[in-house]
Amino acid sequence: MKTNIIKLVLTLFFVSTSIMSGTEAAGESEVLPDLVLTVPENQQYNEYLGLTGEVGTSFYVQDIQADILLIELFDMYCQYCQREAPAVNELYEMMQEISKDGPVVKIIGLGASNSQFEVELFRDIYNIPFPLFPDKDMSSYRALSGEGTPGFIGCRLEEGERPTIVLRKSGAFSDPGEFLYELIEKGSPSEGRRE
Amino acid sequence: MKIKFLAAMSCWFLFIAASMASAADGNLRDFIYNPGTLKPVDSSLKVVVGQVAPDFALPSIGGRTVSLSEYRGKSNVVLSFVPAAWTPVCSAQWPGYNIGKKIFTDNNAVLIGITEDNIPSLHAWVQQMGGLWFDVLSDFWPHGRVADAYGVLRTDGTAERALFFIDTEGIIRAIIVTDINVRPPLEEVMRELVALP
Repeated sequence: MKTNIIKLVLTLFFVSTSIMSGTEAAGESEVLPDLVLTVPENQQYNEYLGLTGEVGTSFYVQDIQADILLIELFDMYCQYCQREAPAVNELYEMMQEISKDGPVVKIIGLGASNSQFEVELFRDIYNIPFPLFPDKDMSSYRALSGEGTPGFIGCRLEEGERPTIVLRKSGAFSDPGEFLYELIEKGSPSEGRRE
Repeated sequence: MKIKFLAAMSCWFLFIAASMASAADGNLRDFIYNPGTLKPVDSSLKVVVGQVAPDFALPSIGGRTVSLSEYRGKSNVVLSFVPAAWTPVCSAQWPGYNIGKKIFTDNNAVLIGITEDNIPSLHAWVQQMGGLWFDVLSDFWPHGRVADAYGVLRTDGTAERALFFIDTEGIIRAIIVTDINVRPPLEEVMRELVALP
């Protein structure tokens, strides 16, 4: 009896600390839904994402050339997304650095309920270096089961495998370095590939 | 005794976890009141494009009284009525205008925000947004007098989600009254600003 209660308390403790961190470890089997985006005009974005399709044509998010992909759900009008923007830019720079000789980690942003115009304003104001896509009808947001903005969804993209969601975070992250470490830890396909 | 202690500890862990999750998240949704889906429009306009905009003088959260006529001959004016502080769509409208300041200044326009809330509520709301570059005015007392003059006072005492574009001569050049549940696209605001003489 006492053993069971101790187990219960420990379980509750780990559940509570998990909630406190604000990050959820997505279930291993949670498959990334098919998200269709449009190949942007910006050639630098296409090189970053590894896209070869013609501008204006569609591509699936899983076509992005990366081991790990972070999807930021933002809203240009959201003051918290505005405040978080510099930290997300810092995260992108760290991703670029670590991708040189580690797992290839990339990031895209989806502007929930934002038009192209609104997304571009957000990009220009905060000098955002990574690709942002409008999600005017929030179809991607809903498909990803978004829970407010900013939100972050980490995905593992393994060649020949269905892409999976490995991390969910609702709200701002406290430290870009720690968040990137957590993302890589949860998203790395295998030790062999990481090396 | 030990069992009671452990049970209490369990409750404590859950309480702390719930509290911390809310605080760590810090999203606006933790503070706002969600009124649900409302009747899209609940008033009738009393002004039309081409007429002189009704003048007013209202207190701002900055402490001064702002009148429309003080901008006559100087700047275009955009009046942004929003229904109420601490509500979902309104709380995600002005922060967008806050980072879109250049769109207004490039078109020689000042933006004036107006709600039917009192000054203390507006002050707290704007502070929570981190501040705004434009004046925010209270049309609280006599309640809704300015909103009513423009025909955007709803029957529950809140305002419509409405934009009035007024030129330097004080003439209304465009009016946008949207579904209260929906934020007007920024490009629509931009389009009307560019069209001002």
